[in-house]
Amino acid sequence: MKKLVSLILALVLCLGMLSFAHADDKIKIVMMVDTTVVDQNNGRDQFEARWEELHPGFDLEIIQPDHSAYYDVMQQRMASGDWPDVLILSSTYYADYAANGVLWDMTEAWENSKTKNSGRFTGDTVFDGLKIDGKLYGFAPTRGNGCITYIKKAWLDACGLAAPTTYEEYIAMCKAFVEKYGTYAVAAAGFVGGEAPFINYLPEFYQDAYPFFVKQEDGTWVDGFTQDSMKEALQRIQDAVAAGIIDKETLTNTTADARNKFYDDKFGVFTYWAGTWATNLKTNLEANGKDGELVALKPLEGLPLYYDRVPPMWCITAKCEHPQEVFDAFIDTMLDGGDTQMLWTYGVEGVHWSKSAGTVLAGTEKEKTYEDGQFHMLENLEKAGTLYTKNHIDPMLSLASFAEGYYDPKEASVKPEAKAASELFNANSRLASIVPATPELSELNGDLTTIKSEIIADIALGTLSVEDGYKKFEQEGKALSDEIVASLNALN
Amino acid sequence: MSTVTATKTVPQPKKKPLRQRMAKYWGFYLMFIPVLAFVAVFHYAPMFGIRYAFYSWKIVGDPVWVGLANFEKLFRQSQFSVAFWNTIVFSVVKLLLNTGFAVIISLLLNEMVSLRFKKLSQTIIYLPHFMSWVVTASVFSLLLSPSESGLVNQLLIKLGVIDEGIYYLADKGWWRTWYYIINVWRETGWQTIIFMATLTGIDPGIYEAASIDGAGRWKKMRYVTLPALANTIITVLILNLAKIMNLFESVFVLQNSSVQRATNVLQTYVYYQTFNSGASADYGYTTAVGLFRSLVGLALMLICNFASKKVRGRGIV
Repeated sequence: MKKLVSLILALVLCLGMLSFAHADDKIKIVMMVDTTVVDQNNGRDQFEARWEELHPGFDLEIIQPDHSAYYDVMQQRMASGDWPDVLILSSTYYADYAANGVLWDMTEAWENSKTKNSGRFTGDTVFDGLKIDGKLYGFAPTRGNGCITYIKKAWLDACGLAAPTTYEEYIAMCKAFVEKYGTYAVAAAGFVGGEAPFINYLPEFYQDAYPFFVKQEDGTWVDGFTQDSMKEALQRIQDAVAAGIIDKETLTNTTADARNKFYDDKFGVFTYWAGTWATNLKTNLEANGKDGELVALKPLEGLPLYYDRVPPMWCITAKCEHPQEVFDAFIDTMLDGGDTQMLWTYGVEGVHWSKSAGTVLAGTEKEKTYEDGQFHMLENLEKAGTLYTKNHIDPMLSLASFAEGYYDPKEASVKPEAKAASELFNANSRLASIVPATPELSELNGDLTTIKSEIIADIALGTLSVEDGYKKFEQEGKALSDEIVASLNALN
Repeated sequence: MSTVTATKTVPQPKKKPLRQRMAKYWGFYLMFIPVLAFVAVFHYAPMFGIRYAFYSWKIVGDPVWVGLANFEKLFRQSQFSVAFWNTIVFSVVKLLLNTGFAVIISLLLNEMVSLRFKKLSQTIIYLPHFMSWVVTASVFSLLLSPSESGLVNQLLIKLGVIDEGIYYLADKGWWRTWYYIINVWRETGWQTIIFMATLTGIDPGIYEAASIDGAGRWKKMRYVTLPALANTIITVLILNLAKIMNLFESVFVLQNSSVQRATNVLQTYVYYQTFNSGASADYGYTTAVGLFRSLVGLALMLICNFASKKVRGRGIV
């Protein structure tokens, strides 16, 4: 009996192993993405099935780590040598991987692509910014988007104030909020961001300061952290924390912490993503029984425009066996103006959106009934009581419209506050640029960033003066900074 | 006079050759194959990666042989020495505190008369062990918040101990204190299990004899209970000492940018060197740090094994 059981177990094992070896004539695309595409709990399988239905010669496999762990898992996978065929990358990884030969050069494919030559594509300026030494290694279906400052209208009204237009008015408003509500006025996730454009959660305080490497008008590179503008910005932040305007716990807040505090009315001024997030903030405030009306703030007078970050890019790795085929099927259809663009933008019909008659959020105060043929998003599979807003492509940031004659649900799907926030951002933002990769940047920037972050945190919390902070930087970080700057200038 | 042991007089059955034994028990060997494959693939095969400690390798391209350069670099890095000493200090202090508190709590639990209350207390003090470090960090971040929602600060303010909330997790000195407190809170209860087991095994007759001799509760604890526990305490210390280089999660989840450099341990140092270096970390260097950590761990293990043999009469490996 024991022998029989062991034989069966061994057979099961062998058959299991053989099943991995099964192959068909389809081209397999292993795709690695964060949760900017619907995840397992939100209909990813249906998304995958629909994509394969639209591209019958391909077998799509999605690897999707947790959002916050994406780059850790992605790097581990790359280090293992088992590279995916396509993956999404932020600007930092894009520049470095491109410089190190990890990415397939798609310049020619892009020039000959249907998307570029469709007449619908509006992102030439954005794509110019993605080129490294004139070569393109990634495709962005949208603009990068960025953060704008939202102010709670109810708080402004309670203090008898209008939205500020200057920094002085902004600080006066924050002080009025602190006095009126007995709490801080501003909170963020970290005193400085972990990735470019770093300063986008506290733009009114950083103003024209930038803690990373910047190219000056004369073409030379400097470390923005060493500039006077940075010292002034850190003094403003320290003063604001000491005055109780900025939440001390900004240091340890995660983005979810900051959002939850905003929803709980712990503070009234929040710099967060433009577009769809305007709707999310409003609906979550209302779900908490608070007034959801927000005022989207234009950049204050004399201050730079908001940063439009370099968009995350879809890249094909150098180990992909069929790069041109993958480009044609995967990249060049993402903005095809038809069914595939619809899938990437809104998800799967019947799962994420519908045009059939019906009632969504039935039985709640927010329920709405739609007639047959009327486009509407469906209830979130994971978070009951909320609706889907989009899939991967934000319709307000898309770099190509739908094809003529194809139904574009943008007007029906985008809420007015999201549209207004997005338009305000688009009219008041500047494109961030990519810092080219050098071996020195790769080797030293991790330690340098840690030193800078510590100094920024200590100055913000008042445990170091700005002067002492910069003395510390001279001792511990300046040499690293100089070495990186020299390597960047050597590229000129 | 010579003593002849039983083992020498009883003839041992002759062991059959391996091939014959495999033929006889082929079913067991077949079932063992998946386990062997698992261990080989996931435990032994990765060890070939050790060679990268002598290379410079950034994911792409061929690794470049650099000999001992990575080790030279790590000994030059002040951050490495901070992380190394933090690993030793955090681990040893944590070990002593956890073991000390576990002994005290075990003794207190042992003195409890009401069985129901004893079981309830045990359950309550075991529970924190089952919370993940991420949840533990979230809970303590809330408790230690410098704002009005921070229970600890509000309590101290109400008691007049402090005037305004302290940002414990952003202060390099306070961070260490709370790190130890949180560790004691989370791990002490679990460690009491082994001491409770020892205490349960003490012969009640010894206590009765001590009572007849006029010993009170204190003397019974001092002269009966503690000596009975001594061997277990040493065993626990030795077993845990061998694992002190494995410190990561508990530190990582409580760190923030203000205290990160001052509180790094070797594993968090490797993590930041790998994942905080932009895109292309030097895996050769981080492997060298990892290898050094493993070598120190191995040395500790051998020392503990030697100590264990001396104290307990048998090793731990």
